[in-house]
Amino acid sequence: MLTVNHLTKSYDGEKMSLTDVSFSVRPGEVTVIIGPSGAGKTTILRSINQLIRDDDGEILFDDTDMRQLNRRQLRQARCRIGMIFQNYNLIEPLTAIENVLHGCLGTKSNLAGIFSMYRNREKEEALQLLQKVGLGEFAYQQCRNLSGGQKQRVGIARALMQRPKIILCDEPIASLDPKSTVTVMDILRDLAVNDGISVLINLHQVDIARKYADHVIGINNGQVVFDNRAKLLSDVAIANIYQKNVNTEGSLVHEF
Amino acid sequence: MNSDVQQINRFFSKKRFRLTLIIVILGMAYVGASIGLGFQTHSLLNVQDGIAWLIQNFIPNEASKGYWNEILQQLFRTFLVAVAATTCAAIVSLFLAIVGAKTLTPAITVSWVIRAFSSLLRNIPIVAWAMILLFSFKQNDLTGFLALFFMTLGFLTRAFMETIEDFGTEKVQALQATGATYLQVIAQGLLPEIAVALMSWILYMIENNVRDATLVGLLTGTGIGFIFNLYFKSLRYGAAGLVVLSVIILVVSVELISNLIGRLLS
Ligand SMILES: Nc1ncnc2c1ncn2[C@@H]1O[C@H](COP(=O)(O)OP(=O)(O)O)[C@@H](O)[C@H]1O
Ligand SMILES: [Mg+2]
Repeated sequence: MLTVNHLTKSYDGEKMSLTDVSFSVRPGEVTVIIGPSGAGKTTILRSINQLIRDDDGEILFDDTDMRQLNRRQLRQARCRIGMIFQNYNLIEPLTAIENVLHGCLGTKSNLAGIFSMYRNREKEEALQLLQKVGLGEFAYQQCRNLSGGQKQRVGIARALMQRPKIILCDEPIASLDPKSTVTVMDILRDLAVNDGISVLINLHQVDIARKYADHVIGINNGQVVFDNRAKLLSDVAIANIYQKNVNTEGSLVHEF
Repeated sequence: MNSDVQQINRFFSKKRFRLTLIIVILGMAYVGASIGLGFQTHSLLNVQDGIAWLIQNFIPNEASKGYWNEILQQLFRTFLVAVAATTCAAIVSLFLAIVGAKTLTPAITVSWVIRAFSSLLRNIPIVAWAMILLFSFKQNDLTGFLALFFMTLGFLTRAFMETIEDFGTEKVQALQATGATYLQVIAQGLLPEIAVALMSWILYMIENNVRDATLVGLLTGTGIGFIFNLYFKSLRYGAAGLVVLSVIILVVSVELISNLIGRLLS
């Protein structure tokens, strides 16, 4: 489904942000990447759909290397990879349903996408997805008027509109209150269990990872230090993932 | 403790010294400039005589009312030139700003070229623009239009570029992640987010250009600026006063309308 091999990235050509990162994601599972802030979680996630150009390695999505695709092929591959963000990244002045419809831009012609010429089938699907995440009645609300939890659910509906095989989630609950956190995580869990979508989530909360993950990947200082089933995530393993280490600037990194 | 007090005192005396220095420098600059210009400070005391003359001569009288028709016509023309120049410049600016914004530019050199270009346009004063263009386009509305157009182009390109850069790369990337094309990202993501900001820049520029257009008209011999000049030089002060009054009314109403639109938008 998704296999990452020997991924390597340095932003400045000096300090390594990722060193030889390898792991794979199984279909229909929740895979959680945990690690201290600055460990390289965001870099891994954005390399997968090539929002960041990495330096070396292999990213096999359905057996094609994302790194070898030309512009058009990359666009097509991105269509099947949903993504949600800590800051939601919705277009705030637009309504919830318009934001959800953005999920099908990748399958439309350039002009149809520019002028919002969506098919009736697409509009119905967008509405159904909003109902699925419990926001049916907010379809025509501007996103700027929604709460954080609601925005994240619109973000999920936008990702689902892509009919994705995998959804990448970069700290999806970092800005949410405890109640919204549960709602959002339950929806993500449900997508894996009931719809067979692979869900790959960056998190820094260990308790949430334990509760929702099937598989856990621990990252420290750009390297994989844990790659196993969630139930094998022992306190020793966690201490290892979050161990203090001196980074190249000489300051201590030990955040949770 | 004691050294703290000393430090605070030293801080304040330094500050006081700097303030005194600035006042002294400003004072010397004023004296120097007055001598250079042969400007007599005591003639400021006679300023009320000047105002009295203004009031006596510039108050529109019965005779000047006959000029209303011509004045309104020229006022309207001036207004149209200002609006047309602003909207045309806004369209070109939007294109330049998208291509030039650091977050969306195809190449960083393009961004630098557009930045330098807009800064050049912006820093040439409107009066200089009018005089330069007078050579090639002579005295007509097109000259005024172009002068306003170039100045506005420089200003709006810069303003739009900053607005676009504030929009950030995260939302651009969120749409790219769905497989959207460059133009789709701009139409579906960027434009809705910045539409209100763009409109308020454009309204601000229209207000500004209505004012500038009267001044430019003086030089290019068109519109309301021209007839003011005409009446003034032919000693028809009442009519000239009427022109001033009409300009004030126009500028104030444009500002009121623009505020109203701004409030409706947000
Ligand atoms: N745009 C960037 N430019 C330079 N360095 C970056 C950039 N983004 C991330 N980094 C560096 O790469 C490392 C990994 O960052 P990131 O992937 O954001 O970590 P995480 O998401 O785990 O907090 C950090 O040391 C960070 O300073
Ligand atoms: Mg991160």
